[in-house]
Amino acid sequence: MDLPAGIRNFTYAQDMAIFRTRWQWMMLVVFILALFCAPLLLNNYWLGIANLIGISIIAATGLNILIGYCGQLSLGHAGFIAVGAYAYAIMVSRFEWPFLAAMIFAGVVAGLTGLLFGIPSVRVKGFYLAISTIAAHFIIIWVINQWSSLTGGYNGMGVPVANLFGVSFAGQKNQFYLIFAITVLVIFAAKNIARTRLGRAFVAVRDNDLAAEVMGINLFRYKLLAFFIGCFLAGIAGSLMANWIGYLNAENFTLNESILYIGMIIIGGLGTTLGPILGVVFIRLLQEGVNSISPLVEGWIPALPSGFTAGLGPMVFGLVIVLFLILEPRGLAHRWNLFKASYRLWPFSY
Amino acid sequence: MSELLQYIITGITVGMVYSLIALSFVLIWKSSGVANLALGQMVLVFSWFTYGMLVQAGLPLWLGLGLVVLFSLGMGWLIERAALRPLIAQPILSLIAVTLGMAFFIEGLVSFIWPRSVAALPRIFPEDVIHIGTAVVSQEYLWAAGISLLLFAVLSFYFKYSRMGIAMRATADDQLAVQACGVPVTRIFSRSWMFAAVLAAVGGVLMASIGGITHGLVETGLKSFSVVILGGLNSFLGAILAGPIIGLAENVGGGYLTPLTWPGVKEVIPFIIIVIVMFVKPYGLFGEERIERI
Amino acid sequence: MGATGKLKKISLVLASLLIMVTPLLVSGCGQAEASLKVGLSIPFTGPAAEKGRPMGDGVLDCIKYINEELGGVEGIPIEVVWRDTQYDSARAANFVNEFMDKGCLFFTTCASKEMAASMEIANRNDFPGFTVFSSPVCIHPPEHIYAQMPDYGDSWAAFAKYYMENIWEGTGKPRMALHLLNNPTGSGASDAAKALADELGIEIVATEEHAATTLSEIESLSRIKAANPDVLFISSTPQPTSIILKNARELGITPGVTVGCGHASFTQALIDLSGSAAEGVYGVFPTVNWGDDVEAMEKMTEYCLEYHPDDYGNMDYITCWAEGLIIAEILRLAVEHVGVDNIDQLTPQIVEEYGFKMLDNFDPGGLHGPVSYSAGDNRMAKAVRVFQVNGGAMVPQTGWVDAPAILYEDFDWFGQ
Repeated sequence: MDLPAGIRNFTYAQDMAIFRTRWQWMMLVVFILALFCAPLLLNNYWLGIANLIGISIIAATGLNILIGYCGQLSLGHAGFIAVGAYAYAIMVSRFEWPFLAAMIFAGVVAGLTGLLFGIPSVRVKGFYLAISTIAAHFIIIWVINQWSSLTGGYNGMGVPVANLFGVSFAGQKNQFYLIFAITVLVIFAAKNIARTRLGRAFVAVRDNDLAAEVMGINLFRYKLLAFFIGCFLAGIAGSLMANWIGYLNAENFTLNESILYIGMIIIGGLGTTLGPILGVVFIRLLQEGVNSISPLVEGWIPALPSGFTAGLGPMVFGLVIVLFLILEPRGLAHRWNLFKASYRLWPFSY
Repeated sequence: MSELLQYIITGITVGMVYSLIALSFVLIWKSSGVANLALGQMVLVFSWFTYGMLVQAGLPLWLGLGLVVLFSLGMGWLIERAALRPLIAQPILSLIAVTLGMAFFIEGLVSFIWPRSVAALPRIFPEDVIHIGTAVVSQEYLWAAGISLLLFAVLSFYFKYSRMGIAMRATADDQLAVQACGVPVTRIFSRSWMFAAVLAAVGGVLMASIGGITHGLVETGLKSFSVVILGGLNSFLGAILAGPIIGLAENVGGGYLTPLTWPGVKEVIPFIIIVIVMFVKPYGLFGEERIERI
Repeated sequence: MGATGKLKKISLVLASLLIMVTPLLVSGCGQAEASLKVGLSIPFTGPAAEKGRPMGDGVLDCIKYINEELGGVEGIPIEVVWRDTQYDSARAANFVNEFMDKGCLFFTTCASKEMAASMEIANRNDFPGFTVFSSPVCIHPPEHIYAQMPDYGDSWAAFAKYYMENIWEGTGKPRMALHLLNNPTGSGASDAAKALADELGIEIVATEEHAATTLSEIESLSRIKAANPDVLFISSTPQPTSIILKNARELGITPGVTVGCGHASFTQALIDLSGSAAEGVYGVFPTVNWGDDVEAMEKMTEYCLEYHPDDYGNMDYITCWAEGLIIAEILRLAVEHVGVDNIDQLTPQIVEEYGFKMLDNFDPGGLHGPVSYSAGDNRMAKAVRVFQVNGGAMVPQTGWVDAPAILYEDFDWFGQ
């Protein structure tokens, strides 16, 4: 469809390829190489931001599978990230598990928690599900705060530095490689989930679950599977977050954070692999931008009300979500595709 | 035993406050099928506006509250016109997400105009407590309960007998058919948002007069979602009955479970109820179960 | 077509915003002049802005005063690298990286939550810092993080000590009930009670928790009433405390039972919110009030009225003005150690060893208790004053009383 001029698909394998031409492969390799050179250029602060973006991409990709592909609205993503973070921290600090095992364990625990709160999705959808996931969020945070023998309660708990094959992931630079290696893997996996039977079943459930059931898709199984995969990735993101921040406190995982994630995938583009990446980068950089520009604006115009800087961030974020929903519901990913198409066809775009 | 009476009375009166907020939710759902997740933030902005009128501008009570009603009507109209109308006939996910976006926006607006986090409204209701047997209840809660019941009655009659109310119900049932009959659907949406905003404002004033204005009002708004889930999304009767049930569960349950479990169990009881209701009776006590066709 | 046109415009504006901002952030501050760099994390916006804003104003005004009127520290200006955390843990943690990148000598945070998020990165790098408001986890076990003000546990300890010495007249052990907010503000007080109640001779008969969103605490107070306490201690923020006070009045718990409040709630807002129910309530607070006759008051009032008149009357502004004075004192001690000509030798480690740890009875303009370092206790100021609400005003009952040090790390339940 959108192949470069002169290229045709002659085999099924060619038709299915994610990267069809050698040029596309080269661009990918160059991009990943450039990405992994970033630590040479960025200082620790921007590396920290980059790491946060990487972690958020993993979580948002999980949420995208759940919401974007399978259509199951979840407002409790921060809660599931918290489950992953704490499961990881407990395993590493109290039971001294190795990093990889603890991370996968954290993913599984978060996934199972997601399964539990996802069971109502078999009977209800839309708003009902949204509320039951909000309930999940509050119950999870309450349990974390009260189960202080495991989690440290309100005081929180420290997380030992991760070690893998003798490399310590304390500094931002080392973490960058770890986080982005996992992020690339996750994106690749998500792309492939979307192309298989699983992903197509998800899309069928999203578009019309009754019709999907009639076609022979086991709703119970696929909805719960979507919850499991989505929350598994939240758990992985949580364990990386635990390592990144070094000290866990249930206050770090707020309902607003969940809404932020939903905003990210809406802005990026629901149901696309590229969407969560673009959305996360956009929102995190927007936060940085608003954060540094609002005190400046306040300095230039002293007549502004004193709540200006406090109010600007949430207002801009809310406005961006509303505007995207109204003006570009398919998100940045769609814009990107339009851009690519016009670039490819230029200057004969008719 | 004396505690039990106290728990029950507190539970019912506090629950009636939840009901009031829940009514606002049901009103919008019933007429336009939109789930308003910005409800808590609307309550917050209206109670701050009340503060602005009564305390900052120093207006007399009747004028201040009158302006609050006008402001809420305007705000309801604006929200519907600016954010919801362009999304008519979009999937439910977009409708929910747009209210989340609004929620953020309103929260920003509040900290923009009222950067203080805590404020007290002047006392509207008398301070003396009323004794019922061994239990006590303060008049604020009784007033709140009375006002909820009154509004419930008004809304029920309106939806049952008034032309507009019937049109609203019909719209919720089938937008296309109603449009074909010549009912002005957009006007119905905008009316229902305006009324719902007034309800949220009344709830905001009552809650703020009980406990002051804080960001906590937003989360009390969240609690009222458990009321609508339990009562059924499209039933005023459900909202008015489920409120006290949730209040009772919180207070009686909290009262007797706290010594047995962890402290603070009272705060999560409404959410545990939500999860249980989802498993057992997902459309609530009085909600209408929609039969879907392909 | 109209919709896409609008979208294009919007995205253009946003993109240009980002492009404008990025170089500003990257460039940072790169003057060649000698200066003493300090990193400040301030929750200037976000959910805690109502506290963070006056806090930021206070410390920045104070540094401005030190640089402009006192000529900096020993003639060297203090250079502030301040960042807005939006009360977001992830951001707060990452700013520590930035402070170290920029060559700051130490850093400060405002809230205990921010320090809890930042301290791991700082401790890993031996990078010292202090937090204005703190919770026990920040400084127990003591590493490179210090606390400017007494924490919520200290509030409890100071009140309990005062109660035992001045109010309790009965025989045997007084029965105390705790009503705690469900976060570190509450848990700090309960940890302190757990550690010290026996030693002070107090029996804890009931512990209740409430949420910041509470509408009624009749239910929990009924249980407290059933436990028949002599004294009730509330560690919370103003709004929930006012609900508890009002409900306690309705249930007839007060008058009769002595009520004490932790410093997180004991502000003017509490009296505004609870009205007559606040009468007779005791509370502790670690700073002086506006208009009190202390050394730093004149300059502070002058700067506050000139630059941030909105903040006048705000207690957090005072606290952070004191923070600014302490920052200057730490730097002064460190500069004194290496000599004014060798300030390029200053490292975070030297500042900690010869700045933080040399603090000895430094008086922050009388704004709060004296600041000292003693080994094993990373609290800088340890003193609070006890007040009682009388006729709608807070009337001090004591001078500065030290809260006893609690060595939480010695208890095996701490951090468990």
